[in-house]
Amino acid sequence: MIHCFTCNGAHLLLDADSGAVHVVDALVKDLVPYYTEGDPEAAAQALASSYPPGEVAAAWDELETLEKSGALNADYGYGEAYLKRPGVVKSLCLNVSHDCNLRCAYCFASTGDFGGERLLMPQATASAAIDFLVARSGGRKQLEVDFFGGEPLMNWDVVKNTVAYGRAREKEAGKRIRFTITTNALAIDDEKIDFIKREMANVVISLDGRKEVHDAVRKTPSGKGSYDLIIDGARALAKALDGREHYVRGTYTALNTDFSKDVLALADLGFTQLSVEPVVTRDERFALMMGDLPRIRLEYERLAREYVRRRKTGEWLNFFHFMLDLDDAPCVAKRLIGCGAGNEYVAATPNGDIYPCHQFVGEDAFIMGNVHEGRFDEAMQRRFAGLNILKKPACRDCWAKYFCCGGCAANAWKMNKDLYAPDRMSCEVFKAHLECALWVYASERSLPFPGEDGDKMQTNVEDYPGG
Amino acid sequence: MKHIRTIKEPVLRQKPSETGCGECQASCQSACKTSCTVANQKCEKK
Repeated sequence: MIHCFTCNGAHLLLDADSGAVHVVDALVKDLVPYYTEGDPEAAAQALASSYPPGEVAAAWDELETLEKSGALNADYGYGEAYLKRPGVVKSLCLNVSHDCNLRCAYCFASTGDFGGERLLMPQATASAAIDFLVARSGGRKQLEVDFFGGEPLMNWDVVKNTVAYGRAREKEAGKRIRFTITTNALAIDDEKIDFIKREMANVVISLDGRKEVHDAVRKTPSGKGSYDLIIDGARALAKALDGREHYVRGTYTALNTDFSKDVLALADLGFTQLSVEPVVTRDERFALMMGDLPRIRLEYERLAREYVRRRKTGEWLNFFHFMLDLDDAPCVAKRLIGCGAGNEYVAATPNGDIYPCHQFVGEDAFIMGNVHEGRFDEAMQRRFAGLNILKKPACRDCWAKYFCCGGCAANAWKMNKDLYAPDRMSCEVFKAHLECALWVYASERSLPFPGEDGDKMQTNVEDYPGG
Repeated sequence: MKHIRTIKEPVLRQKPSETGCGECQASCQSACKTSCTVANQKCEKK
């Protein structure tokens, strides 16, 4: 399966099965549909008025050469043989707080309480969750624990003591735990910054971008915008983590489909590790709809252009969805499955209930057990382990399947009540930023490439009018 | 080639036995989290 697309004036060609990426000229871009149909005569006829016949034939030959080399229309038959048996639980989302010191209007967790009581996780539950993880991890040495919520800093002593407990369990069980944390930074202080810097392998700081955008949705319980209350703490935390893995992550909604301005506003504040994610909500005030897609695609393109320009001119930044590593990327087996929810990754709530992931918390039908009771629903684990792109009809013919890997199971359930039916809007947004990520990859690697009349292949941002 | 430049050679030509060690970070494809989607991960063996 191949996907030929245009981004910022450049034409790129992705071969899905092999992962090969090619930059092509306008002729090949126009030729691909005919090549896919295997109809060179139709191609010659349709393109005769645009290109010299000899060139159309030559381009066709190049596509054939590429195909013979395995870099186009590859079909490696990725099937059942690549699927592994259910894994071990190796990653835990620890909801240490079902409460929050903010009341963000779009919160997927119902402003922190996941639709239930506002609770903080007792230490005994957090420690039992670590024990559960170690016990269920089989021979896996590298484990992951993410402090999440709600707002984890509201239960800071439990965070610290759980890390200490985890470190002790590491030694005796021969494990290595990678602790991470997500925070809105409202309750950050120097002591917490020091601890986070010392113990957390990755940190996500929630900040939506421009002050007016952030304050429109991320308010305190008294209804005040939180930007001024968190910005200094967020900057101090990010500065302490400079050079280490961390992200300042914003959410964009229907209120700011011009979100490239928010990413760049964050960059202008000195944040260098950036991410934005589309909102997950059915709330009509914020929900992104299919009609927003052209604007969203344009925005990722715009962002990609400025991203490449800044990085080239020394204003370094990273944007998560543009950080494609095509060289050391995960293997086919991983790509068929994608999400580890309910199989290798589970979430634990303040009362110890285990869910497939943080987004399933509150869906009682998906409770998998409880860390205090030592029970775990292995049948449900097998059910989630069986989710893969081979079994999802919408994924089978999707060019992005080996990058998206089937999307989010929780979103599929929330939107379609079907774990095998990814949320279409999420699919389209993913494809939009993936195309731009591939353009970024090409832009930062390809050399000027002469076309027929010596023009440069348009992968250099300086070539774009108004770029 | 005149009309095509390959910037990434095929990478996904893998046999079943070469894949699925399970050592990589567990993935979350959810939009409410960032930093652990498959597309942006690394293989831990490489």
